[in-house]
Amino acid sequence: MPVQIVLFDGFDPLDVIAPFEVFVAGSEYFLDNALDIALVSAEGARDVVSGSQGLTLRATASLDPHRPGIIVVPGASGPVDGDPDQGAETIPVLLARFAATGAIPLIAEAMHNPDVLVAAVCGGSLALAMGGLLEGRNVVTHALGMPLLDATGATAVNARVVDDGDLVTAGGVTSGLDLALYLLDRQFGPRIAHAVEGLFEYERRGTVWRAEGTAPATVPAIPAA
Amino acid sequence: MNPICGDWRLQMKTPIGTIEADYHFEEHDGVVTGTANGAGEAVALTDLVTRDTPDGPRVTWRQQITRPLRLNLEYDVTITGGTLAGESRAGRLPRTRVTGRRITA
Repeated sequence: MPVQIVLFDGFDPLDVIAPFEVFVAGSEYFLDNALDIALVSAEGARDVVSGSQGLTLRATASLDPHRPGIIVVPGASGPVDGDPDQGAETIPVLLARFAATGAIPLIAEAMHNPDVLVAAVCGGSLALAMGGLLEGRNVVTHALGMPLLDATGATAVNARVVDDGDLVTAGGVTSGLDLALYLLDRQFGPRIAHAVEGLFEYERRGTVWRAEGTAPATVPAIPAA
Repeated sequence: MNPICGDWRLQMKTPIGTIEADYHFEEHDGVVTGTANGAGEAVALTDLVTRDTPDGPRVTWRQQITRPLRLNLEYDVTITGGTLAGESRAGRLPRTRVTGRRITA
C-alpha cells in the first residue's frame, strides 16, 4: 500500500519523520514490506527545506492523488509569535503559503478518491482548512491552532486523534506517532500497531474520536486563543 | 439613504497579516445589502444590520471568505463621516481592528 508523505517549504520535521518511521518499522519488521512509503511534493522530486534550522529532506516524487493508499500532510514549524505585517514568517503564514500551492487541488482530488485516506498531523489540517478543504469536517490540529481551525468552517474536535472516515487528523507534533500507529491499527489490526509500539518503546494515549455511538450530552468547550 | 451606502476600502488584521478588501453597499426599499471584493473573490455579506448609535451609524455583518484563506468573519464597525472603524472577528479568535475609508467606485 502506498503511503505518500507530503513535503512543503517550512514543514515540521517531526510531523514527517514520526509517521515515516512508524510506517517504515511496521512495513519492514512486521508486514513483509507491505507499505511503499515515499516523501513527495506537489512540485515533484526536489529538496525541501523545513521550518527548523534549514533541515532539508528530499521529496522523491510528485504527490499523486490517484494512487490508492494513504496521504499524510504535516504541519509547519516556525515562530508562533510575530507580526506577519512586519515580515514574520509565523506558522499560520507558512501554512497559508502552502495552502496556496498546487498541493491543495491535488489533495482535494485525493479526498474525492474513495481509495485514498488523507491524514494530517499538527498544522497540516489547518493548511487543508485554509485551502477550503475541511468544510464541516471533524478535525483536530495543534492546540494553538484550534480557534483558527474552527474559524475556517471545520468542526474542531479536542482529541489527540480524530477519525472522520476518509480523513484522519492528529494534534500537536508528537501526535504523528499516534496517528501512524492508529492508521496501522485501522488498516492491519492491533497486533501490528502493538508490535511497533513495543519496538519504539512508545504507547499511544487518549481515545481516538469518531462520530459514532452516543454523543455526550454536553461537549467541553475549546478555550479561546 | 443609509450612511453605509456606497463604496469603501477596508483593512483588517488576520492571523496571516493585514488584508484589504473593497465593499459595496446599497439600499433598495429600505433593505441594505453589501458585497466584499478581495483577493479576486466577491462575497455577499449576510446578517447585515445597520442602526443609529450615539457614536454614529453602526453596521454589523458576517461574511465567508475563501481567499486568501477560508475564514468565517464577523464585522462590527461605526461610521464617522468618510471613515469607519471597528472590529472583526474570525470564529473564536481574538477581535482585531478594522479601519476603512470611503472610496469613489
